[in-house]
Amino acid sequence: MLRQSHHITRWGNKFDILGIIIPAAVLTIWYSVTRVGLVPAYLLPSPAQLGQVVLDFATGTWHLNPYSGTLWAHVTVSSIRVLHGFALAVIVGLPLGLLSGRMKLVSRLVDPSINLIRSIPGIGWLPLAMVWLGVGENTTVFLIALAAFFPIFINAAQGSRNVPDTYLRAGEMLGANKFSLFTTIVFPAALPSILAGLRLGLGLSWAYLVLGELTGVNQGLGAVMMDSRMLGHVDVVMVSMLYIAVLGWLSDLVLRSLFRLAPMRTGGAPQ
Amino acid sequence: MMDQDILTITNMSFNFINSPGNTDLRVLDNISLTMAQGEFISIVGPSGCGKTTLLNIIAGFIHGYDGQFSYLGQSITSPSPERAVVFQSAVLFPWLTVYGNIAYGLKQAGLKKAAINEIVKDYLGLVQMVGFEDYYPEQLSGGMQQRVALARVLALQPKILLMDEPFAGLDAQTRLNMQELLIDITKKQSASVVFVTHDVEEAIYLSNRVYVMSKRPGKVIKQIKVPFTGIRHLSLRNTKPFITLKADIWDLLVPSSQGIPARQLKLVSK
Repeated sequence: MLRQSHHITRWGNKFDILGIIIPAAVLTIWYSVTRVGLVPAYLLPSPAQLGQVVLDFATGTWHLNPYSGTLWAHVTVSSIRVLHGFALAVIVGLPLGLLSGRMKLVSRLVDPSINLIRSIPGIGWLPLAMVWLGVGENTTVFLIALAAFFPIFINAAQGSRNVPDTYLRAGEMLGANKFSLFTTIVFPAALPSILAGLRLGLGLSWAYLVLGELTGVNQGLGAVMMDSRMLGHVDVVMVSMLYIAVLGWLSDLVLRSLFRLAPMRTGGAPQ
Repeated sequence: MMDQDILTITNMSFNFINSPGNTDLRVLDNISLTMAQGEFISIVGPSGCGKTTLLNIIAGFIHGYDGQFSYLGQSITSPSPERAVVFQSAVLFPWLTVYGNIAYGLKQAGLKKAAINEIVKDYLGLVQMVGFEDYYPEQLSGGMQQRVALARVLALQPKILLMDEPFAGLDAQTRLNMQELLIDITKKQSASVVFVTHDVEEAIYLSNRVYVMSKRPGKVIKQIKVPFTGIRHLSLRNTKPFITLKADIWDLLVPSSQGIPARQLKLVSK
């Protein structure tokens, strides 16, 4: 009589041996060409050397380069910037999106402007942001907030717009007022879509963090990339890229686990 | 003294505007209907006859009709827990447990946690769903979902229960069980019910009166008082008066000009 329960969100995928083939091949070729000396180390360090820099960047054990042991300082600075910009995007984008999805007046008011601004590529804002906000901190946070805003807004709007009328009717009939309908029905019903938007926004935040930090700040992983490139430490450039990826993955994990605390059941849409 | 009418509809018509071709579509045509306190009425009619629209107007979901319509002497402007609706699909909130779904309306009414707890327990018992508090709707069968849907509105002690083909999506056996449960509950709660269905047998079995509607634009063709008194049992369905009444209503729904009167068909098959 009982149906099998199934969660909407799932953790890791099953391990698939097929997915290993390409990374293994790349690693083998990489190892071979650096071993034989086909590619000089200043263009492409060997996997072993890179591994050592990965550890040294974090621990400072070998003092391989000027960045040895400074990872945590840069990670902290970069993470705060992402959090700052992402939070701004959420604070503005989430409520505005939810309202725009439900209220004709709001969507008629804001949608045309938002679509207009959205058609400008995020990177295109960089020069203007540098003029207006100065090189560095503010520009970076601005770029992150701007980039993360759109997916958050659009998904929240779509999620709240697609809340089935039957749920709202049921809520009204059960005595919910307009405000309650919003908090107890529109929000939970739109939650899966909201999460999708937040994840996209957070991913973009890291991308735009790098863009902002490339343009002349002293600290942060993006700054390390640019700086070490000039000093000829290709290995540090690559290691920074790696750590950015890890941070992006970790932050996504944190976001998803926050949402796991809330029930994400959507069930089947009612007729 | 006769029971006071809780619901009065006089000469109600309703059009859907802006249908394709920009012409108004007449859905309800000059409907008149009354319901006394504690009465169980059914509205039967073919699909698309406007019976669900009528129910939605009574619920307060749809506005903009012609004619008079009053509920306890007042006009209706918005939905209210006093006129509770059980939809065709249960429309439970999938992010809430069974407990949360039944508690929802009670929370909106501002009741205290302890009181809510008590009431939810009572109504879980009433619909025979004790032990399923922590289940999510998607984990329940269709029949169980409808029980929860019934419990969440009954818990608010509505003056009228509006039911829109609530058992149409259930298998035959579950439907019978739900009908028995509904008879049992309405007896206990002395509720007034408007029951929309296309199942003639179900309509007769449950109701005091049956309104038969024509296909679109929906008119009331006939209003039939169901003559059976006292407690109804399944065996009633096989009695001659029941079968005759059923055949009569079928004749109204499917005009005899289309062939042999349904009553004769029934007699042949018997």
